[in-house]
Amino acid sequence: MTKNGSKYYWWCQIGGWGSLALVLVLNSSISEQTITDKQIYIMVITVLTGILVTHIFREVIKRSGWAFLTVEKALPKFLIGMLLTCIASALIRITLADRLGLVSHKNTEFMARLLTVAADTGLMIIPWTLIYYFYHYVLISSRRQVDTLKLEALVKELELKTIKAHINPHFIFNALNSIRALIDENPPRARTAITELSNILRSSMQAEKLETVTFEKELNIVKDYLALEHIRFEDRLQVEYEIDEDTLDQPIPPMMLQTLVENAIKHGISRQVGGGKVRIVSDFREDYHELVILNTGVLNGSRDSDGFGLASTKNRLQLLFGQKANFDIREVNENTVQARVLIPVHTAAAKTSLKP
Amino acid sequence: MIKAIIIDDERLARNELKKLLLDFPEIEVIAEATNAAEGVEKIDSLNPDLIFLDIQMPGKTGFDMLAELERAPNVIFTTAYDEYALKAFEVNALDYLLKPVEPKRLADALQKLQVEEDKEPISDHTISVNRSILNEHDQVFVKDGERCWFVKLSDIRLFESVGNYAKVYFGPNKPLILKSLNALEERLDEKVFFRANRKHIVNLRLIEKIEPYFNGGLLLEMKGGEKIEVSRRQTVKFKEMMSL
Repeated sequence: MTKNGSKYYWWCQIGGWGSLALVLVLNSSISEQTITDKQIYIMVITVLTGILVTHIFREVIKRSGWAFLTVEKALPKFLIGMLLTCIASALIRITLADRLGLVSHKNTEFMARLLTVAADTGLMIIPWTLIYYFYHYVLISSRRQVDTLKLEALVKELELKTIKAHINPHFIFNALNSIRALIDENPPRARTAITELSNILRSSMQAEKLETVTFEKELNIVKDYLALEHIRFEDRLQVEYEIDEDTLDQPIPPMMLQTLVENAIKHGISRQVGGGKVRIVSDFREDYHELVILNTGVLNGSRDSDGFGLASTKNRLQLLFGQKANFDIREVNENTVQARVLIPVHTAAAKTSLKP
Repeated sequence: MIKAIIIDDERLARNELKKLLLDFPEIEVIAEATNAAEGVEKIDSLNPDLIFLDIQMPGKTGFDMLAELERAPNVIFTTAYDEYALKAFEVNALDYLLKPVEPKRLADALQKLQVEEDKEPISDHTISVNRSILNEHDQVFVKDGERCWFVKLSDIRLFESVGNYAKVYFGPNKPLILKSLNALEERLDEKVFFRANRKHIVNLRLIEKIEPYFNGGLLLEMKGGEKIEVSRRQTVKFKEMMSL
């Protein structure tokens, strides 16, 4: 970057000052008939001095990082810098011109000459500074834009990860506690419970690596999960499945159904003194794969923690399956909450066919 | 023998705890409850020395249940995960146990109970003639929004009537509880708690200064700096009590 930058800089310096020299030569060749040696010397001095002072000016700008300042802060610094550069350049030019005897009107007052030459230099320094500043301005702001985009992508990725990896620790410890009690009471059930818990933990760890899994795979996890919760809640939890077998191959985001069922238990069943029912329905409806989770309970307002979960479920679906995918949750009657996921079948199929 | 009640909505969790408690013959599990309502009922009827209380239960949480009790027994919380949530509350519960419960931790928690009992040998206060009167060594559970406290009655210096609520003054705190001053007066030991006027009940042991006031009344300054006027009628009673 810096290497390239300084290459561009030298090309611009030489190109810019070179074309200035060219313009001056052309200009005098039109207005006056001949170009004197003196004029050529003056021109060479002007160009070389210009390159020298602007280069020094650039070093000052670079060292003190003026290009990174806001316009309001940079403006006075650049103005003073330009003024000093003009004066320095004028002093050098006058001195050289005098030494080389290029100027005839020696009797003119020094201050007046200084002002004239400085103003003349200013005509070149001002555009130089503007070009320099705006080049950096554009460069920095585009870099900033790239950074913002990168950051947004990172945030999105992290969000997805947290939802994916989400398996409620409360559930894990409660399950372990139930299993410990089962070891004496019902050893075979304790053994299957350990298998079920292992399946859930394994799939929640693998979920981080996958974009989608088949509905069948996810459903198996959910069945294990509900079997474990059944140990805890016993007859307080009833589970019903209504699965269209053709939907088993459909891709869905890993751990999404699991999270929704977990919420149905956490906010629904576990709050009911008498317990309740969880019903999972998977079907095709028009061009969509429709997944419905019904549970006993009421929807309680927009609770902050859930708010995040619900919004991100929708985001996650739309990131994977496009804007047509949808998620909503509502009360279907005074004691039943329904969460519904809609995934467009065509895009979904297209997406899986891309993957070997 | 320490009489204990286990309150948890999960049968297996209760069984597991009972099994662990078999190693502690001094603890007798006299009852179990599966939710807050049942818990309140059994505590009121059986008057246990200790309860093991799950925080997350259907209907009401363990905290809500405690706030409903007239007098809070010793409590050991049991929870699967909410260690941090529990610490966030200013709950000076005896202890809390994380499920699955480690036997060593249970032993430590019960050890604390023994120490508490030794510190305060009036564990027979529960056998006091009239059980409905709260002794000054009794503790109450106060829940005010997100904050909770176990407070010994002897630490409460003042009850102030605020509409249907009562403001409870102890230490730097003054949370509100949903109880009328009249209801409180009936339950409090009148040797310690004195109705100074329509709006205030004061703890006689926590008075800093007594000064004469208008119309033959008195002005009490409490240990916390609150100034409470004693009505003329109650001043007579107050003087009688203090001259004993």
